[in-house]
Amino acid sequence: MSGRAADDEIYIVGAARTTFGRFDGEDNDLAEQAVRGALADCGLTWKDVDFAVGGTNGETKPDNLVARLGLTGLPFVTVKNGCATGGVALMTARNGLLAEGTDIACVVGYDNHARGAFNASPARYGIGDWYGQTGMMVTTSYFALKIQRYLHEHGIDPRTLGYASEKAFDYAAAHPYAWRRKPVTVDEAVDADMINDPLTRFMFCSPDAGGVSIVLARGRRAFDLCEKPVRLASVALRGRRPGSFEVFSTWLSPGERTSPSIDAAKAAFSAAGIMPSDVQVAQLQDTESGAEVIHLAETGLVEHGAQEEGYRNGDYLIDGRLPVNTDGGLLANGEPVGASGLRQVHEVVLQLQGRADGKQVPGGPTIGFTHVYGAPGISACTVLTVD
Amino acid sequence: MPLTVVDETLFASLDPVALRGSACSDCGATVFPALGSCPMCTGVDVQPVALPTEGVVWSWTTQHFEPKPPYRTDAFAPFSIGYVDLGPVIVEGWLLGRTTWQIGEPVRLTLATAWTDGDTPVQTYGFEATS
Ligand SMILES: [Zn+2]
Repeated sequence: MSGRAADDEIYIVGAARTTFGRFDGEDNDLAEQAVRGALADCGLTWKDVDFAVGGTNGETKPDNLVARLGLTGLPFVTVKNGCATGGVALMTARNGLLAEGTDIACVVGYDNHARGAFNASPARYGIGDWYGQTGMMVTTSYFALKIQRYLHEHGIDPRTLGYASEKAFDYAAAHPYAWRRKPVTVDEAVDADMINDPLTRFMFCSPDAGGVSIVLARGRRAFDLCEKPVRLASVALRGRRPGSFEVFSTWLSPGERTSPSIDAAKAAFSAAGIMPSDVQVAQLQDTESGAEVIHLAETGLVEHGAQEEGYRNGDYLIDGRLPVNTDGGLLANGEPVGASGLRQVHEVVLQLQGRADGKQVPGGPTIGFTHVYGAPGISACTVLTVD
Repeated sequence: MPLTVVDETLFASLDPVALRGSACSDCGATVFPALGSCPMCTGVDVQPVALPTEGVVWSWTTQHFEPKPPYRTDAFAPFSIGYVDLGPVIVEGWLLGRTTWQIGEPVRLTLATAWTDGDTPVQTYGFEATS
């Protein structure tokens, strides 16, 4: 066991997010608002930042945020890893501080997607035009095909998907920065317009706008800046191996199923020396309701097939055994791709500090977990703790 | 009259119809469409193969909204797609003839019109129930 605040420990000392939803301004407005908020949260200014990482899936250049924030000459790395951008950005910042022996890093993720974005081009994924022309290059059908098989293999009632939606909008109704905050019942979710069987309109997230920033500090410095720093106990990034089931797959191998989420979660828990059963608050990639169901098990938090009972018992609600996606997740926040992973971290940090924006997990949770997953088959997980 | 298809490289033959995949000489993995290397074992010794034409539904969904371009159709109606377990490989494709399916039901490969170019039907592959 390493000592408290050793120089090789990285802490989160500041966090801020914008409201998610539709946004009329520039992408950079979201980023700037988040960065200034996170720095103010720990009493720092841009001049104090030694290393910066920015992630977006849009057209702007995160490293040019210095034009607004100040030309301090700091190293600023840009990451663009789709849905996993936030996790990768956080990992890059941590590694940057440890490698350079500096103290303060600022991470920012943001995006401002137009309505109904995510129009995928076959060529960008190295697939022939026929795939898009025949109507198979559709992300919603991928999610549907994946959860349809998963429900079948594990004997899970499709109604479980409605429970996931109900939970998300219930959390969001109490969260001031979430986008879709109108409660939805299980019945409403299940009976809504079918998009791709078995997933209905209330079971998908939509692309939208938002920005999130996190400030990291190395070692003892963290306790000068923050009353209750949150230790980044581990962060792990993994890519797909043979047997994973990813978006835009014209074929799958018939053998054992693998998943980058399984690998990333295992690596994160192992590096942190923490068991999945120790987690008291979690954020999971819920691009749609089925993804949350699958990721509950792939991350090791719940047994495969036991998710349905968990939803029915209220295990994932605020006073349950394992509150999950307590800010409403992607379902209620939408997905500004670059910001989404950091939103998860932001929420868990505030939960562990006892100052959640929405519903607060009772009893002073000390161990949290976050998980992002995205195309073309990458996942990043973090374990976060407070003393 | 020769058939017009969405992409000739998808097919080992058109009459009778068979899909063209590739098999790895090192690890035996089969993929579709054919690739020049093996993503399973990183090997580069791969050979084109005709895939089995019968299998079972591995998963399915029905596309209830019209996909955006580059999707092409003469007239959109909800259609099913699925993954079909052909044995050496599980292939994604259209499921033809209805919009509700059961995992495990037997299907066979066939051709179907994707859209019409002038007077020419452009064909793609799909799977229909065998019973
Ligand atoms: Zn091989």
